[in-house]
Amino acid sequence: MDFLDTFPSMEQESLRDFKKFIDLSFRNFARAYGDTLESFFQPLLFFLVWLEKLLLSSPWPVIILVIAGLAWLGSRSWQLVVGSAVAFLLIGYFGMWKDTMATLAIITVATLVCITVGIPIGVLMARSNRTEKTVLPILDAMQTIPSFVYLIPILMLLGIGKVPGLIAVCIYAIPPIVRLTNLGIREVDKETLEASDAFGATKLQKLTQVQIPLALPTIFAGVNQTIMMALAMVVIASMIGVKGLGVPILRSISNQYLALGLMNGLAIVALAIIFDRVTQKYGQRMQKHRGQKK
Amino acid sequence: MRIIKKLLLSSIVALGFTFFSMSANAACGKIVMADMNWASASLMAQVDKVILEKGYGCEVELIPGGTMPTFTSMNEKGVPDVAAELWANAVAVPLDKAVSEKRLHVANTAPITGLGEGWWVTPGTLKRHPELKTALDILDHPELFPYAEDPSKGAFVGCPAGWGCQLVNAQLFIAFEMEKKGWVLVDPGSAAGLDGSIAKAAEGDKNWFGYYWNPTAIIGKYDMQPVDFGVKFAGKENWDNCIVKPEQECANPKPSAWTQSVVNTVVTENFKKTGGKDAMKYMKKRVFPGPVMNAMLVYMTDNQADGADAAIEFLKTQEGVWGKWVPSKVAEKIKASL
Repeated sequence: MDFLDTFPSMEQESLRDFKKFIDLSFRNFARAYGDTLESFFQPLLFFLVWLEKLLLSSPWPVIILVIAGLAWLGSRSWQLVVGSAVAFLLIGYFGMWKDTMATLAIITVATLVCITVGIPIGVLMARSNRTEKTVLPILDAMQTIPSFVYLIPILMLLGIGKVPGLIAVCIYAIPPIVRLTNLGIREVDKETLEASDAFGATKLQKLTQVQIPLALPTIFAGVNQTIMMALAMVVIASMIGVKGLGVPILRSISNQYLALGLMNGLAIVALAIIFDRVTQKYGQRMQKHRGQKK
Repeated sequence: MRIIKKLLLSSIVALGFTFFSMSANAACGKIVMADMNWASASLMAQVDKVILEKGYGCEVELIPGGTMPTFTSMNEKGVPDVAAELWANAVAVPLDKAVSEKRLHVANTAPITGLGEGWWVTPGTLKRHPELKTALDILDHPELFPYAEDPSKGAFVGCPAGWGCQLVNAQLFIAFEMEKKGWVLVDPGSAAGLDGSIAKAAEGDKNWFGYYWNPTAIIGKYDMQPVDFGVKFAGKENWDNCIVKPEQECANPKPSAWTQSVVNTVVTENFKKTGGKDAMKYMKKRVFPGPVMNAMLVYMTDNQADGADAAIEFLKTQEGVWGKWVPSKVAEKIKASL
């Protein structure tokens, strides 16, 4: 009976030693390779700092014009262009310009990193079922593991700052683009592929000229989701020293500043809606394009 | 015969215990304590929990929280009843008001000895540059503490966003004209960020300059060295009406050493009533010597022990310390329960 009542758990002492062993090994690893990793990510840091400085030092009307222009290019919708411009004017008016630019910089870089890393992984997954089977659980883990858990090793390896924040954001934000790239390519019509085979297309040609173009709308939905999730991570990233809209939110959490928290939260929402609508419209337009071609 | 005697004796003792705890239960009701989210406060809360439950028969519930949320809730709602380690500088005015209105009581004015906030450097920094005697010396050498995002500047790691000390560090940053001297005030974002930046610097034996406080495991573990400010405390007026205020409210802070930290154990009126005189007396006597606290904190990080584990360890190994806080009868009961 005793056996049934108490779970046969690992002995306290050995459990503690086990945990200590893992910690110590990681610490040694961090000590040995921390600097190497840091210099590996140095270019990324330069780019991030450069972009943030560029956004901050450009006159604000220019930034708003550029954003409105991008919104127009993406969506071709006047409402969206006016809406984005007004949202940014309001953000600036309420004194959140600097933080918003910092957030914009990290979100942009995070999205670029996620796309450059995520799409190739998605393509590999689409090519082999075995790769898909191994990568999927990793993606599940990345999406569900509480971010504070991976903040610890990231902090130990890279300290605080923009790059560790960027990595934390990407861990959370990369799965949608990988998943949807995989899905999009797998969904491409068998017959279309057969046709391209019949024309003697090489594997690379098939990928770049048939599969990816046809999968683009789905891939774009992935990009959209990745941006959304990156924005959701802004506050967490701020916990390890990333400047931006997350900082005032953290400040308002500890001090119960209702208005400050709400305003910065809504600024994140505004960014999210602009990004979402513009990318979605862009995706839809691509789909329309495809429809016409068919 | 002997066995019977032993049996009898033990049953009498057991009976006595039940009687005791029953009567104690009657004397002490339900208490909610703040389990604050840093190690020393958590340890204190857990020690209090064991002692009040086993020794005084209270029913103790712990709720997590940071300084500001806990104090606000105590002040507004009267819950939790006890904040074991409340850093009172940040809440001095509302605390005074609540105490004068008898809603809150300061049960202990110094629950840990030898504590304080200030600026620290890694021990390696002092070894390599023994000429850096005060903060003023350090401020002349930003190049020794390069900032990752702009290596031409020095990084001064301040306080995480939202902490009371964030404003203080920001104002001192202005007062010491650190920007002109080539420094950047780095916001570590959270306690984990601040700890991580110290740990990373100390592990890699790099220079680090920033804010921290004692007693903490980080200070004990990495042997962090306090920095003398090189100036005197520039008066209460400057501190209370300028240094702790946002820049918009006071634009010309004077350089100053860090104010003496006031750390209190604060309890609600409800605790005074339900806990009774005995519990109040215990709270008053409960003073952790600084070195003991630091040793416990290092124990906690070395063994990855949480506050509850550490409280048991503390009660088991440091009877000399806590034995003085309670009457011997209560101490017996606590010892028996371990």
